[in-house]
Amino acid sequence: MLKLQDAEIFYGQMEVIKKVSLEVKQGELVSVIGANGAGKSTLIKAMMGLVKIKHGKLFYEGEDITDYPAWKRAELGIGYVPEGRRIFGDLSVEENLKMGAYKIKDKAQIKRNLEKAYDMFPKLSERRNQLARTMSGGEQQILAISRALILEPRLLLIDEVSMGLMPIMVNYCFSLIKELNQQGITVLVVEQNANKVLKIADRGYLIETGQIMVEGTAESLRQNDVVLKAYLGE
Amino acid sequence: MLLQQIINGFMIGCVYALTAMGGTLIYGILRILDIANAAAYVVGAYLGWVIYATTGNLAVAFFLSMALTGAIGVLIQKFIYTPILNKPNIIPIVPLITSVGIFIFTGDFIRLLVGPEIKDFGVILPFSVIKLGRIVINPEWILIIIMTAILLSLLWFVLNKTKLGLAWRATAGDSEIAETMGVNIQKVMALSYIMGYGFASAAGMMIGVLYSSIYPTMGDIPSYKMLAIIVLGGLGNPIGTIAAGLVIGLSETLISAYVGSVIPRDAIAFLVLITILLVKPTGLISRKNSI
Repeated sequence: MLKLQDAEIFYGQMEVIKKVSLEVKQGELVSVIGANGAGKSTLIKAMMGLVKIKHGKLFYEGEDITDYPAWKRAELGIGYVPEGRRIFGDLSVEENLKMGAYKIKDKAQIKRNLEKAYDMFPKLSERRNQLARTMSGGEQQILAISRALILEPRLLLIDEVSMGLMPIMVNYCFSLIKELNQQGITVLVVEQNANKVLKIADRGYLIETGQIMVEGTAESLRQNDVVLKAYLGE
Repeated sequence: MLLQQIINGFMIGCVYALTAMGGTLIYGILRILDIANAAAYVVGAYLGWVIYATTGNLAVAFFLSMALTGAIGVLIQKFIYTPILNKPNIIPIVPLITSVGIFIFTGDFIRLLVGPEIKDFGVILPFSVIKLGRIVINPEWILIIIMTAILLSLLWFVLNKTKLGLAWRATAGDSEIAETMGVNIQKVMALSYIMGYGFASAAGMMIGVLYSSIYPTMGDIPSYKMLAIIVLGGLGNPIGTIAAGLVIGLSETLISAYVGSVIPRDAIAFLVLITILLVKPTGLISRKNSI
């Protein structure tokens, strides 16, 4: 479904992603793990079109989308949950969701999708007229996820969902991601919390200083020496 | 008389708010201080003067002058600012200096075109002086109240009740994320320029009508007073800008009426700015970005 081929990404002169190839198949839940500054966020931003891929190609359902702007990727069915949530704090909860539906022309469909989000997350419904920044971190994360779901994406890119959340919310978010995946949405998660994410993922990649060091099934990653030592704290 | 002074200050504040609004709308999206907004003030006044002289209809003059100045704004955005901002590693001082350049160029261009002398706007307004006891409200003030009310309601409507306005607010909050949702940033920028330059043009015309005079350097003092209002309003906050415009207008009028000319009138805006920023560094109403 999503295929990254020999991608190289630069920040100025510095190469932050070095010839990375990665694939997400239809229906999978794939995770990219690694330490802070390894290039995880850059990688997922490049897939959404927020960072330019200098060399290499990115394919989505066989289509070369390397040079597509972010919004065109959103239209193709790629949803994005950014690191740090980045909800629109000065907008109400409902307006945040409406922004998620920005590309939908049919008003009835917007309304249906909003109702669906409210059914799924009653908290959001209670707070629909409240400014988004007045909500707790966990609620903001739910809002960021719902905002991405409004456009009915087939592929969801999620960046550091657990960051800055209370443990109970972290667990909730991971089980929610698993549930969304079981409902048929293909998911790519970038995550520092390797322990948690490898429990829900089908496959995983370990990235270090812009290169993929290990890849394989989530199970094999959990047994891998490098992963065990550096990321699972054993 | 206090009430009279308050009314006077309120009126001037309305004009200040309209003048600075463009700067606020543009800062909200592009994060640049656009001094050339004061050029729109001058251009608007001159266009209005020409159109009024030809058509004799003030409403037409206002409408056409705003539309034309707004269109000029979009052209400046498309052909000057966007290419500059798209250059890699651009530092914010570059667009700022560019806008100063556009402003100076415009004033000089008008001087070459129509001459440096003061032109008489020569408007006969359809309202008469209203007297309530000892309070006098001039016909020009009535025009200013009506125009400000119409324009600010229009702004409120666009920002809060239209899809493009929602996109404007989202983009002002986080342009990168707004873009991932399908917002065409160029369109949002164009909205900022059309409305911003249009408002500045209306403000220039109002001042032209009020003092019955326009001249090429009429934008000089508004250009820096506008900066004080934009900063005081919390940088990029439309409601803050209205509040800041009124605060500056009122304090100017009241201080020069009651303290006298110890402090030059045009310095008061900055005294107020500095005093308020010392107490509240984020401005009157700060924007709270969610990161």
